[in-house]
Amino acid sequence: MAASRYNRQVILPEVGEIGQQKLLKAKVLIIGAGGLASAILPYLVAAGVGEIGIVDDDVIELSNLHRQVIYKNDAVGKSKVLEAKRIATELNPTVKINAIPERLSGENALDLFEHYDIIVDATDNLSTKYLINDACCVVNKPLVYGSIYRFEGQVSVFNYKNGPTYRCLYPDENSQSLNCNDAGVIGISVGIIGMLQANEVIKMILGIGEVLSGKILVYNLLNNEQQKYDFEKKENVVIDKLAFEAKYKVIENQAEEITAKAILDKIDTDEVLFLDVRNSGELPEISFKNSIQIPLLNLEKEIEKLNKNQIIYVFCQSGIRSKTATELLNKNQFKNVKSIIGGALVLEQLLRKDTKVLRF
Amino acid sequence: MIEVKYFGAVAEKTNCPTEKVPLGNLSLEQLLNDLDKKYQLNTLSFSIAINQKIVPKTTVYELKSNDIIALLPPFAGG
Repeated sequence: MAASRYNRQVILPEVGEIGQQKLLKAKVLIIGAGGLASAILPYLVAAGVGEIGIVDDDVIELSNLHRQVIYKNDAVGKSKVLEAKRIATELNPTVKINAIPERLSGENALDLFEHYDIIVDATDNLSTKYLINDACCVVNKPLVYGSIYRFEGQVSVFNYKNGPTYRCLYPDENSQSLNCNDAGVIGISVGIIGMLQANEVIKMILGIGEVLSGKILVYNLLNNEQQKYDFEKKENVVIDKLAFEAKYKVIENQAEEITAKAILDKIDTDEVLFLDVRNSGELPEISFKNSIQIPLLNLEKEIEKLNKNQIIYVFCQSGIRSKTATELLNKNQFKNVKSIIGGALVLEQLLRKDTKVLRF
Repeated sequence: MIEVKYFGAVAEKTNCPTEKVPLGNLSLEQLLNDLDKKYQLNTLSFSIAINQKIVPKTTVYELKSNDIIALLPPFAGG
């Protein structure tokens, strides 16, 4: 069965039985289930790539259908990845498809990427491209990049065998570019760029041809001109796990909060540090063996008094300044900071009730 | 003469995909300044290539006859 399904590619000397086995063993993750993925997914599935994950939290809209050609008219309103999985399984039931109906974030990227050999960027915005690039650097996976601006497309492979990354090509993270929704696009442009990405994936799995590592291909669909530009690895843009977490996880966790009730048993222990960011003299006065007071205004200046890895519960009078303080600490690479909801007022009430803590 | 190629949103600002620029002791920095004045490119982000090789924007380089400079903005669509 398998032999006849893949026969026409297996008879290529560049593929052969060994190549088909490589395809079967390969695991590819596609980020985004839009226009690029509509070209990438069916071809990788048809070629017999063993396991394919696809990540997207979007639903299919009518205005997607002209370029996201795997989706049928009556699928409008359905989850893109669930629909993509159904279609892919119909095309080739021997391929394992993992539909992941989530938005890619600093929280899920690293765990998700670990499982796969090759990551494919089929997204439509620059900030996600930086996130994907950085996560690929941390988990050391190659990234097949593709994107479109109207009738032009770009394709490249980043972080391939320790090669240059997206940041080596585009260091300016604050740059902007319109996506297809805003700039407009015809489906064919997206399809061609997606096919070029799928082609890079297959070449990498089989170990054939020249992978577009350290090169960006720019394709103009109006005049059919193709240009390749070389770029080099910049050593100063390396992202490690610590930098990744500081950049993505912490920002998303801004001002994480915890209830006063949940932290009562941490009072007078050495497991955590309580940080009072009120000014001295504010009542009720609350101090424990494991608490210190640094008024919010002085926090940045006195930040070195605190340990970045320590679990810190921040409180103020009512829980507002403590949220600001938590954000500030998170921005300074603190890992385990939470703001106590309701602040000193709630803490005091609870402490009065708690007969074990006879402090008032 | 040198040739300057434009892509994506940059080409839309310049309203042409490519143009020839007279040489005359021009550095890369001067060329970029001239293009910026002519087309107000400062709102756009792009990488620069000299003869098909991406170089840092701040590269000190005296342009030579027949050099091809490209302005490559990032694309986002997909």
